[in-house]
Amino acid sequence: MTVASRTFVRRSVGVALALAALIAQALAGFFAQELIAEAAILAIFALSLDLLATCGLISFGHAGLLGVGCYVFAGVTVLMGASPNLAFPAAIVAGACVAFVVGLFAVRTTGAFFIMVTLAAAEMLFSWGYRSETFGGANGMGGVPRLDLTAIGVDLNDPGVFALAMIVLCIVIWLLLEVVVSSPFGRTLAAIRQNPSRVAALGGRVFLYRLAAFTASGAIAALAGALKVQHINFISPDLVSWFVSGDVLIAVVIGGVGTLVGGPLGAALLVVLKELMSSTFGHWYLFLGIILAGVALLMPRGIVGSLLDLNDRRNSRAAAVRTPSSEGAA
Amino acid sequence: MLVDPRFFAEQILNSLQFSMLLFLLAIGLSVVFGLMDYLNLSHGTIYMFAAYVAFSITQLGGSFWAALALAPLAAAAVGVLLYFVLLKRAEKGGHLTQVLLTVGIIYMGTDLIRIGYGDLPKNVPQPAALSGAFDLLGIPYPAYRLFIIGLGLAIMVVLYVVLERTRLGALVRAGVDDRATAETLGIDIAKVFALVFGIGTYLAGIAGVVAAPVFSVYPGMDVSIIILVLIVVVVGGLGSLRGVIVGSLLIGFADTFGKILLPQFAMIMIYLVMALVLIFRPSGLMPARRFSVSG
Repeated sequence: MTVASRTFVRRSVGVALALAALIAQALAGFFAQELIAEAAILAIFALSLDLLATCGLISFGHAGLLGVGCYVFAGVTVLMGASPNLAFPAAIVAGACVAFVVGLFAVRTTGAFFIMVTLAAAEMLFSWGYRSETFGGANGMGGVPRLDLTAIGVDLNDPGVFALAMIVLCIVIWLLLEVVVSSPFGRTLAAIRQNPSRVAALGGRVFLYRLAAFTASGAIAALAGALKVQHINFISPDLVSWFVSGDVLIAVVIGGVGTLVGGPLGAALLVVLKELMSSTFGHWYLFLGIILAGVALLMPRGIVGSLLDLNDRRNSRAAAVRTPSSEGAA
Repeated sequence: MLVDPRFFAEQILNSLQFSMLLFLLAIGLSVVFGLMDYLNLSHGTIYMFAAYVAFSITQLGGSFWAALALAPLAAAAVGVLLYFVLLKRAEKGGHLTQVLLTVGIIYMGTDLIRIGYGDLPKNVPQPAALSGAFDLLGIPYPAYRLFIIGLGLAIMVVLYVVLERTRLGALVRAGVDDRATAETLGIDIAKVFALVFGIGTYLAGIAGVVAAPVFSVYPGMDVSIIILVLIVVVVGGLGSLRGVIVGSLLIGFADTFGKILLPQFAMIMIYLVMALVLIFRPSGLMPARRFSVSG
C-alpha cells in the first residue's frame, strides 16, 4: 500500500517533469535549447548515480565513469576517425567494463570508504587526462562530432533537435530504470541498502548485486559522457574533475537520493540556477556551497524525498483514522 | 637513472618530505573520523587557509617564522569555529550529509579565496636561514626540505607520546576504540573531540604554512592534496597514528617515485597501492581496533 503510493508520487513527479521539459523545449529559443540539452544530459548522469544509490552506495567519483564515455567517444571519433555511431556503443561498453574493474575492489567498501575510493579513482583519470598529449592535455581537444542519424531523418546538429533527443533519451532511460527498480533485481538492491547483513544471511550475494549495479551505473554514466562531448563538441579533463562528480551528487541530493526522478529534477534546478547566478551575481561556487550546506543541514532527504515523507505522514494519519472505526465495526 | 645512488637518495628525501606533509594533514582527518565517524573533506580548506594567511603575513613584512607561529593558530581558530557553527550539526546525519556539508564548505572557501586573493598562484619565500643547501653525506639537499622532514618527525614523536603516554591520549584512544563504553565511564567524548578537532586543524595549518614555499599557493590547492590525504587514510586504516604514518610514507613514496618512473601514470601507481591494500586488507593496513573488524 505505502510502496504503491510512494511509487505513484515518484512517477507523477517524473511525468510532470518530462512534460515540463518537452513544453520548455517546444517554446525555447536558441540559447535555452543549449541549457535544456545540458540539463537533460546531467539528468541522465544523475539517473546513473541514483541507480547506484538504490543499493546504498554513494559515489563521489562518478565523473570518472562519465569521463570514460567522454574519452572513448572522442578517441574513437577524432583520433581513430571512426563513425560516431560506432563510437557511441563503444563508449557505453567501455564505461561498463571500467566500472566492472573498478567495482571489483570499490564495492568491497561501503559508506565513507566507498566515497573516498571512488573519488580517488576518478582523480586518477583526471590526472591522466590532464597530462595526456594525445587528447590535448589540459587544453583539451575539439572537433568531436555528434551521432549521425540522417538515415532516419534526424539532424542532431540542430540545437533544437539535439535538445529534444536528449529529453527523449532521458525519459527512455528513466522508464527503463523504473522497470529495473521494481524488478526482483531492483528489490534486492533496495533490500541491500536497507540491511546488507540480513540479505547476506538470507543467501543473497551482496557483492555481486552491488557489482552489477555499479557496472550498470557505469554504462549509463559513460553514455551521458558520450552525449556530453557531443553536446559541446569538445573534450577536456575538466569534464572529469571532481567538481563534476560534485555537481551530479548535488543534483541527486537536492532532488532526493533513491527516488530516481529526484536526480533529473535536481539537475534541471541546478542548471537553471547556475545560469541565473552566473549571469547576475557571479561567484557560482560560493552560492552553490551555501545551497549545499543548506540542503545538507535542513533538507537532507531532498525535494522528492520530502514529498514522499509528507505523503507517508498523510497516509499514516489516514490509516490511523480508519483503524479505530474498523475496530468498532468488529 | 635510478642506478645513480645520489639521485636515488635525493628522491628518497623528496618522498620523505612529501610524506611528512601528508602525515600532518592525514592525522587530523583520521583521528576525527575515528573518534566521531565524521568525514570532514573541508580539512584541506583549513590547509589552504593557513597557506594564504602565511602569504599575507609575509606580504605584510612578517618573517616565515612569524607565519609558522601565527597561521596554524588562525587555522585552528577558524577550524573550531567552523566546527561549532556548521560541522557539529551534521554529526548525526551520516556520511553523505557530512560530505555534502563539507564539500559546500570547500566550494565556499575556494570562492572566498578567489574573491580575496584572485586566481593567480602566490609565492611564499623560504626563510633566509634555510635557503641554502645542506650537505648530507656528500649530497647537497635543500635545507628547507630537510627542515620539513625534521619538523614532521618531531611532530610524529610528540603525537606518539601524547597519544600513548598522556591522559588525553588515553581518552582519545578509548573514544576511538569504543565510544559508547567510554561515555558510559563518564568521559565527555564531545569535549575530547572538540579538542582533537582543534589540534587536527592546527596541524593542518602547520602543513599549509610549510607547504607554501615548496608548492605555490593557489585556490584549489586544498582539493589536490585532500585526495591524496584520503588515500593515505584509506590505506593506513582509520583512527590510528601508526596507520597514518605507514599510509603517508607509502603514498609519499609512491607519488614521488611514480612521477619519476611513469610520469604520465603517477596517479596510477598510487591507485595501485590503494587497490592492493583494499583487496587484501579492506579496512586498511593498521586501523584502530574498532575499524579492523568491519570489511
